[in-house]
Amino acid sequence: MNFRTMQAANRRKTFGLLIGMGILMWFVVYAALTYFGGSTAGIVPIAVGIALISVWGSYYGSDKLVLTMTGAKLIQESDNPKLFGLIHEVIIASGMPMPKVAIVVDSAPNAFATGRNPEHALIAFTTGILDAMDRDQLQGVIAHEMAHVANRDTLVSAVAATTAGAIAIVSDMLTRMMFFGGRRDSNGNGNPIALVFSLIILILAPLAAIMLKSAISRKRESLADATAVSFTRNPAGLRSALEVLASDSTVVQQRSTAVAHIWIESPLDSKSVSKLFSTHPPIQERIAVLRSMESLG
Amino acid sequence: MEIIIAVAVIGLIALFLITQYNRLIRLNITVDEAWAQIEVQLKRRADLIPNLVETVKGYAAHEQSTFDAVVTARAKATSATGVADTAAADGMLTQALRGLLAVAEAYPDLKASSNFLSLQEELATTENKVAFSRQFYNDNVRSLNTAVKTIPSKFFTGFAKVGEREFYEVEDPQDRNAPSVKF
Repeated sequence: MNFRTMQAANRRKTFGLLIGMGILMWFVVYAALTYFGGSTAGIVPIAVGIALISVWGSYYGSDKLVLTMTGAKLIQESDNPKLFGLIHEVIIASGMPMPKVAIVVDSAPNAFATGRNPEHALIAFTTGILDAMDRDQLQGVIAHEMAHVANRDTLVSAVAATTAGAIAIVSDMLTRMMFFGGRRDSNGNGNPIALVFSLIILILAPLAAIMLKSAISRKRESLADATAVSFTRNPAGLRSALEVLASDSTVVQQRSTAVAHIWIESPLDSKSVSKLFSTHPPIQERIAVLRSMESLG
Repeated sequence: MEIIIAVAVIGLIALFLITQYNRLIRLNITVDEAWAQIEVQLKRRADLIPNLVETVKGYAAHEQSTFDAVVTARAKATSATGVADTAAADGMLTQALRGLLAVAEAYPDLKASSNFLSLQEELATTENKVAFSRQFYNDNVRSLNTAVKTIPSKFFTGFAKVGEREFYEVEDPQDRNAPSVKF
């Protein structure tokens, strides 16, 4: 598979997963209405509202918010001309505007990108990654981060987080109602199978939403790898960068797990329950995909 | 009722025409911009060369033929116009610079000097920028040429005065890694 078909496939899968989120939301609404009757219909807009406000606030100010959450410091061209030279290279290759650049003082090699659109993009690197990588590897990492910016992954993950958040709020409210009031809808029109089914949906929906959110995040990582290759046409650079990350066991000192998904290598990998809940595809899998692109030349 | 339908159909057709026309114009402008980027990067590289040659001369004065090759290639590159000419001169200059850096390999004092090291890094990043601006230009030419040759945009090329553009092709098999600068 070359990077073009990879990009197309990953975009399609993200789209499918977002549709899946919408269907899940619809199931939850259906379950709420079956179980509690029409009186609960008002909960849905409230939940969506709460989720929207909390997620979109952080989406809009993502560049500034992430700076404080990760402890990254903005730098100027004169602070690190070599890094800026490399970033300029990728900017020229991708035809995108220059992002803001920040450094995180941390010996673990890692990097991330954020910002609501390419004009407000921010890419950050740990001091560890700048020390550990050579020119080609760093170029690959920068291309991966700029690929996140080009693919608008802050927006995609905001959409995923909003839906997952709304689903969590709805089912949380409804499960509480179940304990405190039981069924409000006492007309007795319930079909027992539908009721049990709705109950199961309400309980499992938040879990399913988190799984879908993680799946979207994994697809966006694969997409960013493919897009990075379309910028540099050099899969070997990113591949050897990932090998450096894979062989390094140090992890970024997280101030908050809320921003775990934005790093190039997941800081939570070791703690991850299973593949279903991890925000990144296994690094060995990413290396294998890039290697197959190299053999295409 | 009939009038509304007629107006809607005419409106849709007009919208279609405008989109097709604008797409061609936009693609053509992007190619122009990509071309300007190549010129900027080539100029950057040309500006870097006198300094680099002087630095190498300070340590390896008798490699005159290498210096001459670089200076001639640079002169050709700065005076070249048009896509094919510029590309050919660019290829020659890349070759000449590779020769100059190969010479530098033989002088340990030169390789260790901080001035040379910083010039070398700047040359490495500039070579990459030149290569990426070429790639970006060629990608955009590819999109434009595809639009010029495919239906329906093909029918609008005369109206928009947009035609196929020339690819920027450098004849150099080693081009992707040129010149190999290690640090």
